[in-house]
Amino acid sequence: MSLWVDKYRPTTLGKLDYHKDQAAHLRKLVEGGDFPHLLVYGPSGAGKKTRIMCTLRELYGPGVEKLRIEQSQFTTPSNKKLDISTISSNYHIEVNPSDVGHNDRVVIQELIKNVAQVNQLDTSTQKNFKVVVLTEVDRLSKEAQHALRRTMEKYMATCRLILCCNSTSKVIPAIRSRCLGLRVAAPSVDEICQILTSVCKKEGLTLPREMAEKVAEKSGRNLRRALLMCEACRVQQYPFNPEREVSEPDWEVYLRETATMIAQQQSPKRLLEVRGRLYELLTHCIPPDVIMKGLLRELVQVCDGQMKPEVVQNAAYYEHRLQQGQKAIYHLEAFVAKFMAIYKRFLEEGIADIF
Amino acid sequence: MDDSFELEYADELDALGIVNDEELVPPPYSPPKSKRSLQFSTPKVGKNKNTELVDDGCGIESSDQDLSLLSSPEVEQENVQNRKRLQSSPAMEEDEVDGFIISNTDSRKRAKFSDEATLLKEDTLSSTDAAVQFVRQSRSQKGLPSSSSISQPVVKDDLERPKVFKRIPRGDFISTLGYEGQRVYMQLWDEDVLESEFSSFEKDSRPLSLLPIPVCIMREQIEAKHTRKVMEEANEVHDSLRRQFESMEEEDMTIGMEESSKSKDNTTRDEVDILSEEMKSLWVEKYAPRRYTELLSEESINRSLLHWLKLWDYVVFGKDVPKPMKKAANNFKKDKEKETNFKNKKFFSEVAEQLDKHHRPEQKIALLCGPPGLGKTTLAHIVAKHAGYNVVEMNASDDRSVDVFRNKLESATQMKAVIGADPRPNCLVIDEIDGAPAPAINVLLNLIKRTDMDASTDKKKKKKEGDLLLRPIICVCNDQYVPALRQLRQLALILNFPQTESSKLASRLHEVVKIERLKADLNALLALCERTDNDIRSCLNTLQFVRQSNKELTLRDVQTMSVGQKDSQKSLFSLWHDVFTMPRPKKNRFLSIQDLAEGKQDTLQTNNISPSARFQHILYMCQATGETDRVMQGIHENYLEAKAKDPHLIGLNIANDWLCFADCLNQYIARNQDYSVLKFSSFLPVVFHFLYAAYNPARVQFPHGQFEAKQKHQKTTNLLTSLLSDMTPMTQKFTNSTNLTLDLLSPMLDILQPTLRPVNTQLYSTKEKEELANVVKIMIAYNMTYHQEKSPDGQYVYALDPNVEEVIKFPGLKQRKQLTYGAKQMIAREISLEKMRRAEAVRNKSSNPSVPQATNAAPAKKKSGPAVPNHLQKLEAKNIAPPKAAVNFFGNLVRTKREKTQSKDAAEEEIKQDKDKKELLDTDIWFHFKEGFSNAVRRTVKVEDLL
Repeated sequence: MSLWVDKYRPTTLGKLDYHKDQAAHLRKLVEGGDFPHLLVYGPSGAGKKTRIMCTLRELYGPGVEKLRIEQSQFTTPSNKKLDISTISSNYHIEVNPSDVGHNDRVVIQELIKNVAQVNQLDTSTQKNFKVVVLTEVDRLSKEAQHALRRTMEKYMATCRLILCCNSTSKVIPAIRSRCLGLRVAAPSVDEICQILTSVCKKEGLTLPREMAEKVAEKSGRNLRRALLMCEACRVQQYPFNPEREVSEPDWEVYLRETATMIAQQQSPKRLLEVRGRLYELLTHCIPPDVIMKGLLRELVQVCDGQMKPEVVQNAAYYEHRLQQGQKAIYHLEAFVAKFMAIYKRFLEEGIADIF
Repeated sequence: MDDSFELEYADELDALGIVNDEELVPPPYSPPKSKRSLQFSTPKVGKNKNTELVDDGCGIESSDQDLSLLSSPEVEQENVQNRKRLQSSPAMEEDEVDGFIISNTDSRKRAKFSDEATLLKEDTLSSTDAAVQFVRQSRSQKGLPSSSSISQPVVKDDLERPKVFKRIPRGDFISTLGYEGQRVYMQLWDEDVLESEFSSFEKDSRPLSLLPIPVCIMREQIEAKHTRKVMEEANEVHDSLRRQFESMEEEDMTIGMEESSKSKDNTTRDEVDILSEEMKSLWVEKYAPRRYTELLSEESINRSLLHWLKLWDYVVFGKDVPKPMKKAANNFKKDKEKETNFKNKKFFSEVAEQLDKHHRPEQKIALLCGPPGLGKTTLAHIVAKHAGYNVVEMNASDDRSVDVFRNKLESATQMKAVIGADPRPNCLVIDEIDGAPAPAINVLLNLIKRTDMDASTDKKKKKKEGDLLLRPIICVCNDQYVPALRQLRQLALILNFPQTESSKLASRLHEVVKIERLKADLNALLALCERTDNDIRSCLNTLQFVRQSNKELTLRDVQTMSVGQKDSQKSLFSLWHDVFTMPRPKKNRFLSIQDLAEGKQDTLQTNNISPSARFQHILYMCQATGETDRVMQGIHENYLEAKAKDPHLIGLNIANDWLCFADCLNQYIARNQDYSVLKFSSFLPVVFHFLYAAYNPARVQFPHGQFEAKQKHQKTTNLLTSLLSDMTPMTQKFTNSTNLTLDLLSPMLDILQPTLRPVNTQLYSTKEKEELANVVKIMIAYNMTYHQEKSPDGQYVYALDPNVEEVIKFPGLKQRKQLTYGAKQMIAREISLEKMRRAEAVRNKSSNPSVPQATNAAPAKKKSGPAVPNHLQKLEAKNIAPPKAAVNFFGNLVRTKREKTQSKDAAEEEIKQDKDKKELLDTDIWFHFKEGFSNAVRRTVKVEDLL
């Protein structure tokens, strides 16, 4: 017994619950023997890594599930030591190069070379290539991505890459064109409901339909979150009571409160208070783009229809700046200030219309 | 020169006089009018010193007070002697209480007398040399060896003068009360007698009867000597340079002749002559102050530095030959002056008066700091010379690596020039110390500190190390807040240089200009001072520069001139302050009239509140500051509190857009190393200035929000990394830090807190047991446990380790429910047990020689390794035959039965294998420390042993 998320994670392509035709495609790929580089992308909690793991199992059999953690050390040209932990089996190695920040290029170059230069020992029974799984490719620096493109071609004979990311927009086209893109869409609410029900059934619990839907809605089509929420509900209260509120993560509540504060009052003083709360969110390791998105979602709800496009447009503008900039706080604050100005103008116009 | 000196010090001298008066004159005798006349009247002083009379209570008091500042032991001793004598002969004292003369002359005469005395006094005090003589005199008369022993018949006469009587004297008398309230009588002297006596004084060719040669003559002689010497030197230099220039001139002239007509020849020659003369030296050198009194820096600072330097006198000169001794006495005299004058001044309080056990001042070094061009180095040199030291300078031009620095430091502080006419002790001046590397400064620090420590250790060691710091060190720096100086600052006497007064500087410049025959009015000079921020060096250099080309300096020149300005760095705070402050219109008194005449061409100068002037000002300041990132942070943290009318929040948007722009710019620069765009970031403060400048701005706060946020973020990241790094590979594979914070941790903490009854686990139902086991499993998989901690209020609590609760908890939101202490304790225990069980299982498997199992075991082993708490790891290490120990230890557990048999088998096998070796190790005794738990020593007892 462990968390339901881990416990009921499918391990083979056949057992996957949704996107079954995609699973079938993957199986065909593996059987065809001409396995390409893969670029798996999709939102968080859609099952990208589960799918990758299933594919690997299809490739190499249950041996891939014998995982170990290894610490590797690399030296940058400037003699700086980099430590990075990798998860590997006999057949594959998984690494998150963005852990080492802007030195990720070194990791990419060294690690892939190390892996690729050693051939698979027993090619008669196994595939004659190893697999390198790189996660969070969208956080790789441009240099690292450029380092990757040549390596991908050069060591094609001995190694395949599976890249995993949330969005391809930050992956350079050169890499995208070298990989077979595999989009793992988030499961629909219905699918999540089904999965929740089946999981509860396996646990010997009965999940009311309304409850399942409620959890699925709250999770924002994130299966991981849905399962965890469901389990949390179960721990707090069983049998399930559909009337009961599903508890949300604190940061979401906090973010919503912040948005309410912005809508309540528009002044520099309020902006100062909001800044404190934004800092709080940022220091709790909530990614700035998530904050921006959350704020927008909440703020758009209080907006009048004609304002919405303007607000969304500005949010997009500032999020773009956010990606370009260094310190998120400036851009988040700028967006809040912009919204305040728009909202205030709208309110004043409204009052003027009345009189 | 003397006049100006007296003018300058007039009030100080007055103050001195008053203080002296108060102490000198015994209250019962003194009619207030006679104060002055009594105080410094030559006969009295002469009599006191000459005869070593002890009957003069107030005389001794005065000398006491005089000498107390001088820390020379001999003098101290003498004082004590005097005092003793004084005490031992009260009768004498009673008999002749005082040597005061109460004359019955009318006030007119008394006034005359007092005038004379004042004159004498001023003479005595006005020059150092006179003071030297004065003290030398007094010392010689105290029986100390002196180069010049003088006897004064006039003064001797004084002895015969009658004193205070207990009985009624002959002739006229007045009666009064003595010290002890008894009646005493004083003889009244006839006016004529006194008159004649005074006239005899006046007639005397030596008005100051103390000195063999009158002060004024001595001074003249010295000055004459000095000027002669200077003149000689000047002539020498002049001649040599002349020769050089003449040879050069010849060449110049040949070129010049070709260009200019012959008629102009003579004039050119003249001009070149003058110029060549001028080019001989920089004016800065030429007109640098040579004497203490010429210093331009603030008097209080000069004095406190001098005073501090004087505190070294005992150590430096104290045990020397009498000649320097005299110097010390002389110094003391000045100290006294200073003390009396400086009692109320703030700089004085900084000088720690007391000496340490080596009779050195408490503050071992002096640190002069201030912007360039205020005369810090000059002050250090002059004061040191003035106090009789030989100045040894070290500055940035010297090599300041640690070894060289130490060598120099030690040679300067411990050695002394032997060759040379006047071997004086060294005073080390370390110039530009803020540029010295930190290790070098540490050497200096050690020198200061080490000696302190040595003082406490035994003498031998001290001898070996050999160096008490016995010479004063003066450090000069521009920025006292350089990190390397931090420690030094605490030990040093810090003297902050304020700006030189414009008027003072301008008048000095005026003198220079007069000598150099450059036409310049005082207004122009004042404007120049203002323009250069009262930088003396810059002013002089500018003047010299102007002198080269023309002979007149007008106000207009000063305004239009681009020389004489320097890049001055303002502090960040002043920049922030200026950004948020609307400048007050500044009246520019030098400009108004001319400016009107010229049609307001120079608006930049005249009108500092015009937008363009404000723009330029802020831009210039920002560019000078350089730290764009800091500037930006400061603005960011302060702009929201600025008072600005902005009803539509348009300004707010502009401001924020600029912040975003600057941030993107910074990122671009950092990423591409393209510093050419850095110039644009200087415009950010300008924008904020125009948006948010106010007349009464809020106080600027130092920005630390970003730094704090960064630190907190770092802390959270560390927590997450530590959580991630020790997870089981399977869980680690499917999580990352983002997932953890966004999705996983919050519900998981709910899951980890099932409702557990606070009873013994054995009473749990199967379902409850399952729940508990589940919690334990999850926590192990995610590398969490409960860890006992002591809360600040002294209670023990179990907290998650790593404490991920901090990661997901936000202030102001409702607290999630917590497990009870007991439940947490139980879970923690179960976790450690479960980990041990797993470790055991791994070991059992590894003893089997099947390969796949081994690979399987590897990760588990890896996982459990670092996760097991310390005390349990110890247990394992000793468990060479582990299963038994573990089984017996936890024998009461329900699920261990199967394991028990299994492990026993394995253990027995092992024991068979190396029974011989491990006889000792089988008897496992271990310490297990538990707070508040007594059975710390345990021993394995097998069931078989008991049966």
